[in-house]
Amino acid sequence: MVFLQVIPYYLDLGKNLNDQMGNVANYFQRWMLIVIALATLVGVIAVVQVHAKNVQKRSKDWLFSIIVLVILALMLVAGLPLKEVTLGPTNSVYLYLFNNAYTPLSGTMYSIIAFFITSAAFRAFRARNIEASLVLIAGLLMVLSNAPLFTVMWPPFKTIGDWIMAVPNTATMRAITMGIALGTIALAVRTLMGIERGYLRGGGD
Amino acid sequence: MSLLKSIQNLDRRWIYLLCWIFVMYPLIFPLGLPIPINQQAKDWDKAVTAIKPGSTVIFAPMYDPSGIPELFPMTVATFRQLMSMDVKVIVVTFWAAGPMVFNQVLAQVDPAGYKKVYGTDWINLGYIPGTETAMASFGKDLAGTASQDVVERKPTSSFPIMQNIKSATDITLIISIETGTPGATEWLRQWNTPYKTPIIVGCIGVSAPGMMPFVQSGQISALLPGLTSSAEYEQILKQPGLATAGVDAVSMSHLLVVLLVVIGNVAFLAYRGSSKGGK
Repeated sequence: MVFLQVIPYYLDLGKNLNDQMGNVANYFQRWMLIVIALATLVGVIAVVQVHAKNVQKRSKDWLFSIIVLVILALMLVAGLPLKEVTLGPTNSVYLYLFNNAYTPLSGTMYSIIAFFITSAAFRAFRARNIEASLVLIAGLLMVLSNAPLFTVMWPPFKTIGDWIMAVPNTATMRAITMGIALGTIALAVRTLMGIERGYLRGGGD
Repeated sequence: MSLLKSIQNLDRRWIYLLCWIFVMYPLIFPLGLPIPINQQAKDWDKAVTAIKPGSTVIFAPMYDPSGIPELFPMTVATFRQLMSMDVKVIVVTFWAAGPMVFNQVLAQVDPAGYKKVYGTDWINLGYIPGTETAMASFGKDLAGTASQDVVERKPTSSFPIMQNIKSATDITLIISIETGTPGATEWLRQWNTPYKTPIIVGCIGVSAPGMMPFVQSGQISALLPGLTSSAEYEQILKQPGLATAGVDAVSMSHLLVVLLVVIGNVAFLAYRGSSKGGK
C-alpha cells in the first residue's frame, strides 16, 4: 500500500506503469475513505461512553454531560440523510441548531482568543532584557502594521511589517517546516522498518 | 511605587472589559476609518480576475463555524466575484461543517441572480470525508471520488459542467479559504506538486506566517490573510460588506494592545528605575 502511494508520486516509471499503479492506489484510497467515514462512528461511541458514565456516576458537572448526550442524539437523528422523511442537513431542527447554537458558539469560542491575547500581550511584552525587547519591538511593529488605523497614519508601518513577515518570519518558518518534514520522514522510515511500534500501544521495543 | 506596581499587575478582568469596550464601540458606532489597499488584496483580485473565460475552478470553503467571523466576508466576496465572471465553479469541502458554511454563503449570493445554471455553470459536491487521502483521490478522479452532488443527488458525471473535468489537470485554479488542516499544505502536496494546479489561499490572520514560505516560492499564487485583507478586497470590488464593517473593530483592538503594552512598559521601566535608585 505504502509503495503504491509513494512510488508514482516521486518516480516517473513511464506513463503506463505510473497510470496502472495510480489506478490501484486510487482503488485502495477509496477503501480508506470508507474506513475513515466509519471511524466517525467510533468517535460517537466514545463520546457516549464517556458522558453516559459521567451521568451514571453523578460525576462533577454531570448535568453538562446530559446536555451533550441530548444534543448529540438530536443532531444525529435530525441530520440523518433521509430526505424522504424530511431529515438531513435541510431539516428545520438541524438547521435551527446549526445556525443558532453551533455557529454563534463556535464563533464566540474563537473570538474569546482576542481577550486572552490582549491580556497576554500586556503581561508578556516587557523590556526585561535584550531578547525580550527584540520580541517586544517585533511584536509591536506587527500589531502596528496590521491595523489600518496605524498604516493610514504612517504607511511605512506596513512596509516594516511586510519585511518582518517576508524575511525573519519566512526564514524561521522554512526551518520549522523542513525540520518537521525530516522528522516525519524519519518516523515513517522507523515505522515501516518496525523500529517504531508506539502506535501498537506496546512501546518502543 | 505602589501605583507603578499596580499598573504592572493590572487585574486581567479590567483588560477584558477594556477590550470589550474597544471592540464593541466601533461595531455600534462605525468610525469609518480609511482602509488602505495593500498588495495582498490586489494580488488576490488579480488572481481571480485573471481566470480565463470558460475555465473551471475549485471553490473550497475549508472551515467550520469557528472560522466564520474572520473568513466568511472573503468567502462571500470571492464567490460573488466568481459568479459575476464567465467561470465554471465546482464547490467542494473536506471539512464536515463546510457545506453548512457554504449554505450561508448561498443565502447571501444567489447564483441564479447572476444567471448561473446549476449543473452547467456551478455544482456543489459538498463534503468529502477522508481529509488528505480524499483530496488525493479527488485529484485523480473528481467524479469517482464525489460520486453524487448534494443539491440534486444525481451522479456527478451526469452534469454538463463535469463533462470535460476528469482530474486535477482539468482545473484552472483552486480557491481554498481555510482555518487549518486539511488546507493549503494538503492542496500543495496532492494537487499543486503532482498536477501543477495553481492555488490561492484565504486564511485566518494567525495562519499567515506559516503560509509565507509557500507564497515566496510561488506555490501559493496569492494569499488573503485575515479580516483586514478581506476589507481591502471588498474595497477593490467596491462592495463593502462584513469585513469593511468589522475592520474598525480590528483597528481599535490593535490600538488597545499598543496602549497597554506602552503603559505596561513605562510602568515597568519606571518601577525598575526607582527600585535601583532606592538601593
